[in-house]
Formats: sequence, structure tokens, C-alpha cells
Amino acid sequence: MPLTRRSKLVTYLVVGPFAIVLAFPFYWMLQTSLKTELDLYNTENVPFGFANGSPTLDNYRFLFSDTQYAHWLLNTVLVGLAVVVITLVIALPAGYALARLSGRWGQSLGVGLFLVYLVPPTLLFLPLSRVIAELGLQDRLASLIVVYPGFTIPFATWLLMGFFKSIPRELEDAALVDGASRLGTLVRIVFPISVPGILTVIIFTFSLCVNEFVYAIAFITASDSKVISTGIYTELIRGDVFYWGALMAATLIPSIPLALLYNTFLDRFIAGFTGGAFR
Amino acid sequence: MEAAAMPRRRRRDLLEERRFLAPALIAPAVVFVGLLVGAPLALSVYLSLTNATAGSLTGDFVGLDNFSHLWSDPNFRTALRNTVVFTLLANAIVVVGAAILSHFLVRDFRGKWFLRFLILLPWAAPVALSTIGFLWIFDSLFSVVNWTLVHLSLVDKFNPPQWLGEPNKALAAITTVHAWRLLPFATVIMIAGLASIPKEVDDAAKVDGATGLRKLWFVTLPLQLPIATIAVLFGIVFTATDMAVVYILTRGGPFNSTQMLPMWAFQTGIQAGSLGPGAAIALFLLPVLAVVTVLMLLFARRVEVT
Amino acid sequence: MADDRTTIERPDQEVAGGHTTRREILKKAGAGTLLIVYGGAVTKTSAAGVPQFRGRELAGTLRIIQWSHFVPAYDKWFDNVYVKRWGQANDTEVIVDHINQADIPARAAAEVAAQSGHDIFFFLSPPAAYEDQVIDHANIVEEISKKRGKMKPVALKATYNAKTKKYFAFSDNYAPDPVNYRTDLWGEAGLKPTTWDNVLKAAPKLRAMGHPIGVGMSNEIDSNMALMAMMMCFGSFIQNKEQRVVLNSKETVAVLKFARELFRQGMSNEIFAWTAASNNQAMLAGKLSMTMNAISITRSAELSNPDLASKIDLMPIPKGPHGRFGLEHVMGAYVIWKFAKNKAAAQKFLVDLETKYIGAFENSKFYNFPSWPSAVPNITRRVERDPVAKPAGKYKVLAEIADKYTLNPGWPGNTNAAIDEIFNKFMIPQMFAEVAQGKRSPEEAAKVYDRSFRGIFQKWRNLGKI
Repeated sequence: MPLTRRSKLVTYLVVGPFAIVLAFPFYWMLQTSLKTELDLYNTENVPFGFANGSPTLDNYRFLFSDTQYAHWLLNTVLVGLAVVVITLVIALPAGYALARLSGRWGQSLGVGLFLVYLVPPTLLFLPLSRVIAELGLQDRLASLIVVYPGFTIPFATWLLMGFFKSIPRELEDAALVDGASRLGTLVRIVFPISVPGILTVIIFTFSLCVNEFVYAIAFITASDSKVISTGIYTELIRGDVFYWGALMAATLIPSIPLALLYNTFLDRFIAGFTGGAFR
Repeated sequence: MEAAAMPRRRRRDLLEERRFLAPALIAPAVVFVGLLVGAPLALSVYLSLTNATAGSLTGDFVGLDNFSHLWSDPNFRTALRNTVVFTLLANAIVVVGAAILSHFLVRDFRGKWFLRFLILLPWAAPVALSTIGFLWIFDSLFSVVNWTLVHLSLVDKFNPPQWLGEPNKALAAITTVHAWRLLPFATVIMIAGLASIPKEVDDAAKVDGATGLRKLWFVTLPLQLPIATIAVLFGIVFTATDMAVVYILTRGGPFNSTQMLPMWAFQTGIQAGSLGPGAAIALFLLPVLAVVTVLMLLFARRVEVT
Repeated sequence: MADDRTTIERPDQEVAGGHTTRREILKKAGAGTLLIVYGGAVTKTSAAGVPQFRGRELAGTLRIIQWSHFVPAYDKWFDNVYVKRWGQANDTEVIVDHINQADIPARAAAEVAAQSGHDIFFFLSPPAAYEDQVIDHANIVEEISKKRGKMKPVALKATYNAKTKKYFAFSDNYAPDPVNYRTDLWGEAGLKPTTWDNVLKAAPKLRAMGHPIGVGMSNEIDSNMALMAMMMCFGSFIQNKEQRVVLNSKETVAVLKFARELFRQGMSNEIFAWTAASNNQAMLAGKLSMTMNAISITRSAELSNPDLASKIDLMPIPKGPHGRFGLEHVMGAYVIWKFAKNKAAAQKFLVDLETKYIGAFENSKFYNFPSWPSAVPNITRRVERDPVAKPAGKYKVLAEIADKYTLNPGWPGNTNAAIDEIFNKFMIPQMFAEVAQGKRSPEEAAKVYDRSFRGIFQKWRNLGKI
């Protein structure tokens, strides 16, 4: 539906300020990341401008040549992807079973799984630390890959359960009548229609993994196995000295591609959510 | 599945059997979550009933002492109050903001893709890092907010507001950061809610002459309600159990006036080594949150079904 | 800090202490297809570290974890030079991991819960609460004392539990905590921060010049240290020698009144908002006229703003009515876990590190002072001759501060778990801030906090640690 000029104007007047407020910290990170320390710590300088040798790419250079930043980025992505795979492998069948094959108790179980999110990670990492050590995973990326699904599977299962409910039963029944097995139907008929739901799960899972940091601190100290949050804390906050420019650069770098990615898939994400959360 | 040893025929029959298939498909999820969250949670509950110290997973049983002692600690009471305040305030802002924003973002307009990208940024940034950005923005000396206010002659240059140093301002700053990072996700969920409103409803509303605010109030909002519930639910969970924002911005200061439960639990149980009391603090809100969550989830589904 | 793959050697296939390969571990994790991707990544990065001991049998592996030092060069020296040499001499593979100072407690708790982790764990304050989890470090202390004489009392009192007769940690170093002040500004004010009285006198003038005093009252370590030291100068103590709480005293009331006055006359609200980095930054920005911190401020200034650095001088803590009493700024405290796999090597490592502390002392740019003074010969002459100091000899005073005005938290008693808890919950800054902001009267604050400290002491007394 084409908008009238007036409602177009209203749209910009509303969305614009929101966008500015939400994105301002990132503009500020960019500005800060391009500054020299001398410029940064001079209160006479205009913070929106540059002076004393700024703008400079030194902070970025420092990140990539003097720290293992690139490696931490890679680790973060690897953990995210591995957790996505594990989550899907476990949550897809579970969500389907809860939607189709079980009665009321399936519903309750779905809600029960959701309660996992309420458990504060503040202290939970202690008992888990024992588990990780018993598995021989201390200081390995695999420790995070094992632990994170604990809190991604519940949401994924719950969402997919809703999504599967929205798929017409007739589609499956037709395949079953044709002699396909239930599992076969699941793989060949049901999963392909569920792509938006699966995508939602992927994005949500990935963003949870990128955000987590308590477990990452507790389980991994080996520098070449760190993820961004913990690696940056180690290298760029030294005692009472903050490397502000590099810190800001380090935050900016993963945020932009991730936001681009989320934006690209947003319409499908929304479709997934619509299908999942409300059936 | 693990039934690989069985003869093919029988395995297939079993899998066709609902009674068997459903548990088989659900089991991995339940086992995984049970082992990784359930068991440690049970252990945490046990710890909260002991006098365990400094990382040790055992201690002498002290009953509910840790819980009853909490009440006499003013810092705990502050933390409890703040947790509720942060959670409610941040989520109120988020719901209103997301409702407005989603309403406009379903429209088509030039530059939408770019604006949406800007709006999504806070969601994409790892919270432990983006909060460092806010630490810099609210810095006691180099705050860009204060620089701007000073140059607009709105505040005193020599004693500008300390966003992290005065209790009310610090509470506001922390609430702002929570709202800021939760708003994009809530908006996305709300857009999903709008998208789920059937076209026919829209058309019917038009026929009935409902437009503008009237339509928003009587048609759109009620239909958006269940999905808003989901947004709020995640919002509550992510604020009430989060430690990162307070930990990075104030560590509970000034004079522990911005303490909140996860932070105080961490300081007591991990940093100060009183693990038993720390566990009690961490678990304190769990029952309340659990009830709230179950009610909200049931509400969200119920509204949809009818 | 170029490459902090801090291992002398971290062979691709071997996991420290075990015989599982990374690939096997990943298989156990069930990462499936991702295995291939990840396997590739590992091979690529590990190739960077060429094993130096190829073909030789290693006597063992020693795993160390410590903070990322505020002087990056220290880490470089420690990881790439010192540890390497030590490893070769002792036929041991040494792995050093680094962690942000703020993350130390979380990781320590995680290792104890797991009963597995590093052999040597470094804390930045005496970890009294972990006493049951660590070996008695008496052997190490004895061994070093045989060669280097007496341990400094500050280190002894910070790591020895008088009740249980156990060294719950081994202190290799501590950082003295001088006053940092701007000579130019104080010159204009016509005073020197030699006594707290002078500080209070100069404060209004300095603030009027736009350069307030900066003694923090925030939830961070510098505030903790400065305020606890100020208390001692006024004769106010948290505990006595017998580890009984004695906070509720007229001296405590006096110091609280003084601090409130100092805040009102010479500081700004910023001191309630500070992080550990804030007083550094405010000094570097040229705003503050005085603060208390270890030498990280002047060292940063020498790198980025030498002109400013020459205007910042160091002094011992100002004298109070009770005298001049300072605290260590940070206390390096290594522990060897009871569950450590290589206790023998760990003990030898620590003994060797301390016995010849010159390298550590110099590479930390005089941040790390040895806990055995004779472990570094001629300390005074060395600091006096610091090559970058402007004016020359600026750091000489550090030796004097270390000698005379550096005590342990909880002095005159030993540092114990209760002191540690009070410290970690920032209750001292909380008390001062509440009084400064008028939330409580000094008298009430002394009473209220005395009571709550007693509760904390009682808890640890019941656990047999005090």
C-alpha cells in the first residue's frame, strides 16, 4: 500500500530518531576507535572532531597485528556455528514430536524447557565447570560448544513446536499414505517447509552464543581458544589501563557484519517467528 | 538412533509407533537440558543450603540460614529492589518503543533497509562489549553526553552530572542500556506480531471505518498483545538474570545503590568466596520468575488459540 | 604482547597432562561435520608455534595463569624470555595463560569446582577464602628465606593465616601505593601534600583552579586502597592484631568527617562514578591535582604525554593525626592448588622466580616490588636511575615507600578471609561515600559498618579461618 506524503513524513520522523539513538553508540565507537590516546585524553578537544594525530587506523592495526583478534573472531564464529548445528539436530525432532505426537504433556514440557532461561548463569558455571573438566574439555573451544546448547535448545524446541503446528497435517498424511515413513516424511516434507522457523532458530542461537561471556571466562583461558568477549578483556584492559580506541574498534568489527546478516534475513526471521510463537 | 542393532523391520515398526517415536525424538533434548542445566541447578540449590566457600562444591548443611540472613543485609534489599525496578522500567520502555517502531517498520518506504540496519545494531553487538561502549559514553570526565550538555549550556562545566556516580542517574543509565540492547529484538518480535494479523481483520476494520488511533487501539493492539507478551518475557529474562551491564558500568556503585541480584550473588559467592550465601542470592528470584513465565507463556498461547 | 601464545611449546596433538588429541575431544563433543572445519583451523594456527623440544622427552608440564600485566612488556618478557629459559633449564614444558584481572575470581572458583586447571594460579589480592584448596606454601617461603633472608612483613601478613598456621598463598611481589600529584598546580597553591591537613587546606584552591583532588569513593580497587590507608593515618582500623573488629571508634568518626570535608571542599561528584581506570585518565587529562595510585599513571604519561609526566611527582601517603601508614596497591599472590598435577615443578618455579627477581622488577618498570627485598640488590639505586623518569630520580621515593609505608590490608592484623570479603564487596568505599553524600552521619556509619563487619568476621570464624 503506497503511503501518502504525510504518513511518509511521519514515518521518517518516528523511525529516524529511533535509528539515531540506537545507532549512536556505534557512531561513537567509530569516532573513538579512530583517535590517538593524546586526542582522547584532551578535554579541550572537540570530541566530535579529530586532533593530535587523529584520525588514525592504529587501533585497528594494533588489534590485528599485536593481538590474536582475528583468531578470537574465528573462534566465536566456530562456536556459534557448531552450537547452531547441535541445536538444530536436537531441537528439530523434539519440536516436531511435541507438536504432532504428544498430547497435553507436550505443551507443558515445552513450557518447562523454557524455564531454563531463568536460571542465572552467575553461579551455574561452577557445577558446569566440573562437568567440563570431567569431559576433558577445560580450555578447549569444545567446552562452550557442549554447554551453550543447554540454553539454546529450549527456545529452539519451543519455537519449532509452534511452527510445526502451523503446517497443515494433510501434507504429511498424503506422504504417509504414499508409503513414506514418519521420519522420511519429516525430513522430506516437513523440514523444507519449515525453513523460516529454522532460520529464526539459527539467528537466535547464534546471537545468544555471541552474547554469552560468563562461561567463556570460566572455561577458557588459553589465548588461542578464547572468544572475542574474553580475549578482548584480557588484552585491552590491563589492570587500570583501558585501551579505549582498540576496545571500540573491537566491538564495532563484529557488530556491523552481524547486523547486516540479521537485516538480510529479517523478513524470513519474522515469518519464522509468526509461524512459531503463536500456533 | 541407537536402535541400530535391531533388525530393520522391527526398528521401522517401532519408529512408526507414536508411543515410542515421540519420546525417542524428545529424549535427546530433555537429556541434554537436564544434564547441562537441571543437574547444575539442583547442585546450586544444594549449595544455597550449605556454608560452602570459594568454589568448593560441598559444605556443611545449614538449612535455610543463608536465605533468612539475606533479609538483614541492606545491600541485598537494595539489590532486590533494583532488580525489580530495572526489569520493569526497561521493559516498559522497550514495549512502548517496540510497539511504535514496529508499527512504522511494517510500512514500505525508501531507506527502510538502512534504517532497519541501524536499529538492529544493538542486537548484533555482544553485550559485554557494547556496554564498554556505554562506559565510555558515560565516563566521569570524557562523557560525550556531558560535553554536549555543557556546550548547550545546560549543565555546569565544573560539576557536570555523573551518570554512573549518582544513584538515580546511575539507575537511569543502567535502565537505558538494558532498554537500548533489548529494543531491537522486541521490535522484531512485534513486527512478527503485526505480520500475523490476518489480512481479513485489516479489511474488516476498514469497512467498519476504523482508522488511525481507533484502529490501533481497538484492532491492532489487542491482536498484537500475545506477541508482545513474548517480547516482554524475553525482556524480563534478559534483564533480571543479566549481570554484564551492572558489572561493567558500576559494579553496584555508587555505594552499592545500583546493586542487583545476579551482581550481588557474584560478588558474594565468587569474589568474596561465600558461595553458600551467594547461591541463595542467585536463586532468590527464581520461583517468582518461574511463575511469571509460566503465566505469560500460557497467556500468549491461550489468546492465540481462541 | 605481539604473540601471546604463551607457551614454550604447545604441541598440536597433546593436551596438557593428558593424551587426548584435540580431534578426539571434538569428536567426543559430537561436533560432527564442523570437526573438519575446526581441525583445519587448529592445524593452521598451531603451526605458528614451532616446538623447541622436538625429539626430547619432557620431564613434565607446568601450567601457570596470571593477569595481563598493565605493562605489556612484562608479559612479553615473562612469557617469551623468562619462562622459556626456565623451561629449558628444568626440562619442563611451561604454559602461561593470561586473564583480565577482573576475571581472576571467576576462573579461580571454576578451577576449584572442577578440581582441575592450572598448577600455579595468580591472584592480585591475598586469596584467603581459598585456604582449604591450596597447599601450604611454607616450603617455598623457607627455601627462599634460606637464600634471600627475611620476607617483607607486608607480604608475610598478607599470606599467612595466624590461626591455622598456614601460608595460604605465596607473595612474589607487591606494588607500593604512592601519592601522584601535580607539582605545578600545588606550587601555585603554595603547599605540598605531605599531610592530610595540607591536602584539605589546598583542596579548595586547587578545585577553584579547576583541578580537584581525586581520592575515589567508588566500587573499585583504587578507592578501596586509598580509603583504607587514609583510615590508618587517622588511627582507624577495621580489626586489631587479634583479628577482632574495632571499627566503631572515635578515630573512624574522625576520618569519615575528614573525608566528607575533603569531598565538600576539594573534590567533585566524579569520585563516586570511578572505575579503576578513571583516576589514571583524569590525571592524564591534566584535570586532577592529586590522586593515589601505583605507578601506572606516570608510566602511561611517559609514553603518551612526556610533558605532563614531568609535572607529576610521587610522594609517600600524607601524614595523618596518627602517623603515616600506607597500603600495598596490589599484592601479587601465587597459589598452588592441592589438585595441581605438577606441584614439585610449581614450587621450584616460584622459588626460582623470587630468588632472582631482578628481571621481573626491571621489566615491570618497577611496578612489581620483590617480597624479599634482597632478591633485587640495590633497589634504591635502581629506581633512582630510572632512564625515563622526569625529573630524574622521580622513582627513588618508591623504595622509601616500600620500606616504610607499605602495609597489608587489615593491618595491624593479618589479611584474612573477612577482610577479603569486605574488600571485595567494596564496603569501605560504600561507608565513605554514604557519609560524604550525607546519607549517614559519621557516627552512625561507624556503628552500622562495625556491626556488619562483625557479622562477616563471625561467619569466617565459624568456618575456622580466623
